[in-house]
Amino acid sequence: MKRYLETGNFAITEGAILAGCTFFAGYPITPATELAESMSQRLPQVGGVYLQAEDECAAMHMCIGASLGGMKAMTATSGPGFILYADPYGWALGCETPLVVLNSGRVGPVSGITGAPGQGEFYLMRYPTQGGNFETICLAPNSAQECMAMTVEAFYLSERFRMPVSVLADQLITDGFEDISVPENENEMQEMGYRVWPRKICQGPEFYPATDELDIPPVVLGHNTGALCSDWTPTEEGYDIEEVEAHHKHAYRLIYKVRNNRHIFNHLYEKKYMDDDPDLVVVSYGTPSRVVNTAVTRARQQGLKVGALRLINLWPFPEEHFNRRTKYLIVELNWDGQLVREVQRAVPKDSKVHFLGSCGDLPTLPSLNEAFEKILKDESLARKGWELEEW
Amino acid sequence: MDYQSSKLSSTFLRSRKIPSTACSGCGLGMNHKIVVQAIQELGLGVADVIWGTSIGCAGRQTFGTWKGDSFAGTHGRVYAIARGLRIAMPPEKKIILTVGDGDAFGIGIAHLIHAARSNADMTVIVNDNLGYQSTGGQYGWTTPQGSKTDSSPYGMFEPNLMGEGMDVLEILKGAGATFLARHVSMDGLQAVETVKKAIQNKGFSLVHMPYPCPTNFASRQLGSRNQVNIFRWIQSHAAPLGEEKAGTIWATGIWHDASNSRPEFNEFVWETVEKIRRTGKI
Repeated sequence: MKRYLETGNFAITEGAILAGCTFFAGYPITPATELAESMSQRLPQVGGVYLQAEDECAAMHMCIGASLGGMKAMTATSGPGFILYADPYGWALGCETPLVVLNSGRVGPVSGITGAPGQGEFYLMRYPTQGGNFETICLAPNSAQECMAMTVEAFYLSERFRMPVSVLADQLITDGFEDISVPENENEMQEMGYRVWPRKICQGPEFYPATDELDIPPVVLGHNTGALCSDWTPTEEGYDIEEVEAHHKHAYRLIYKVRNNRHIFNHLYEKKYMDDDPDLVVVSYGTPSRVVNTAVTRARQQGLKVGALRLINLWPFPEEHFNRRTKYLIVELNWDGQLVREVQRAVPKDSKVHFLGSCGDLPTLPSLNEAFEKILKDESLARKGWELEEW
Repeated sequence: MDYQSSKLSSTFLRSRKIPSTACSGCGLGMNHKIVVQAIQELGLGVADVIWGTSIGCAGRQTFGTWKGDSFAGTHGRVYAIARGLRIAMPPEKKIILTVGDGDAFGIGIAHLIHAARSNADMTVIVNDNLGYQSTGGQYGWTTPQGSKTDSSPYGMFEPNLMGEGMDVLEILKGAGATFLARHVSMDGLQAVETVKKAIQNKGFSLVHMPYPCPTNFASRQLGSRNQVNIFRWIQSHAAPLGEEKAGTIWATGIWHDASNSRPEFNEFVWETVEKIRRTGKI
């Protein structure tokens, strides 16, 4: 094990290399630029290829091409670049091509604030492309070390599920310096719980049967298997066909290979002070969860019965955590409230769901503590005007 | 000739996709045959070529026809996909892309220029049916000037990418493409010879091949779906390079042949990676 004081971008690069990534294509964008830079430095040293693309759309398409050729590939960007992934993301979902996509969130909409953390893409990670009829997998780490772990895990899942898997970080995690341990061999990787799945090659039928089964190897071109790979409605052999039944079978596979196999990744969450039926559950993901954890620990010291639930597996949404009728407070790095809507949908009918939003900076411990106390006393969180909207 | 065609198709194409679902009288089959015949005459086999296709008539009708490995990309993006694939494929595998004019010269032109810049080894066959025909017949970027289409009912009045000094082939030459040619589909064996050279170039090659669309283009521009009219119309507006007359729209032949004159993408990328891996520098 080697220890470093380094950034999340460094950790992601090392995680990708541990997972067997040999191809990265990217386009400079704050705050994901340093990841591209770090890949350009490290990948050739381990026999991999870094390419700079003409735009994000090309970057992800190049990754798809490399993955179709048998390489493990990754790309990374921030919100304004992520929307240019819409085109290739759909293609990779439809063609069932494994690759890893990292989004380092900043403050939006549009260009917004470039060098500050935001969480405005919660729903975009679920619906990164048009058309529907698919599920996506998204993992959200809250530290540099966990960025490495989730990058390794994303590669693992992308191979088993034959699809792009996204990692949602934010500016603070990718740019911030932290203590990072990098495993140096397979034993150390195993000790850290890192799983790696090798690239296998579909030997036919040329495309995929209508099944929710995992571990059918992905199509790889160049092995003369007669593989057909397209964005059209495929028959099981890969021919393009415009037919509702064939498309239904295709969509069934895209949706249920994920929904029916959530047990592979739905252990990815963190619970703190959650064993004694807390009166208030504070829900968050990414960097705000680090402040939330501290705030909840302090609240417990004050005798407030508060618990913390941190989501790492964001999509498919882990509804199983929300079956208790209690009070919930959702803490997010946005002012419009995104995760809060999904929690409202998942909780029992008469549960109370509150929202505390901030953006560009983390919530403060006093603001969290004030919110806990008010909610537990059934007082409203609402303030006047633009400062905080009522939920 | 019949015998020749059926032998070509039984060797290289999937019987399930023959005949194609193209409109009656469509000229795409001529272009398709030119490419397959060039492959055969070069002595290449099914396993030697990865075939990629785009969106639109040209992409849809040629997808899944090749017996070997194939892919269809999203609109305009096959050049970026092919660059990634080029890195992953052994250098001896040929990548041939059959795409349309809207795909290559409209939505995909940025990716096309960067594929030319990097001199990635691929042969792009732009099957130009004179506009966006699979959506019903709107003008494109190489639609002949003045043409009446569904989206230019008064005649196309915008400059296209075949004007003096702004021909798309000149743009691609400036971007670093190493083989560029234009043929109309009636050029037959001459076009086969050109496509052979394009495939043999270890670098970025593009052959622009306008072909007749009787259903949409001809019915609007010529007022008739009679395929003979559109075939003759295209032929009468084409002339070999250097022999252009008044009214020539397509100057045919090899526009630029710098085959094997520049380092190829896959080779220089992997050579560089290997140098860095061994010595830590370039």
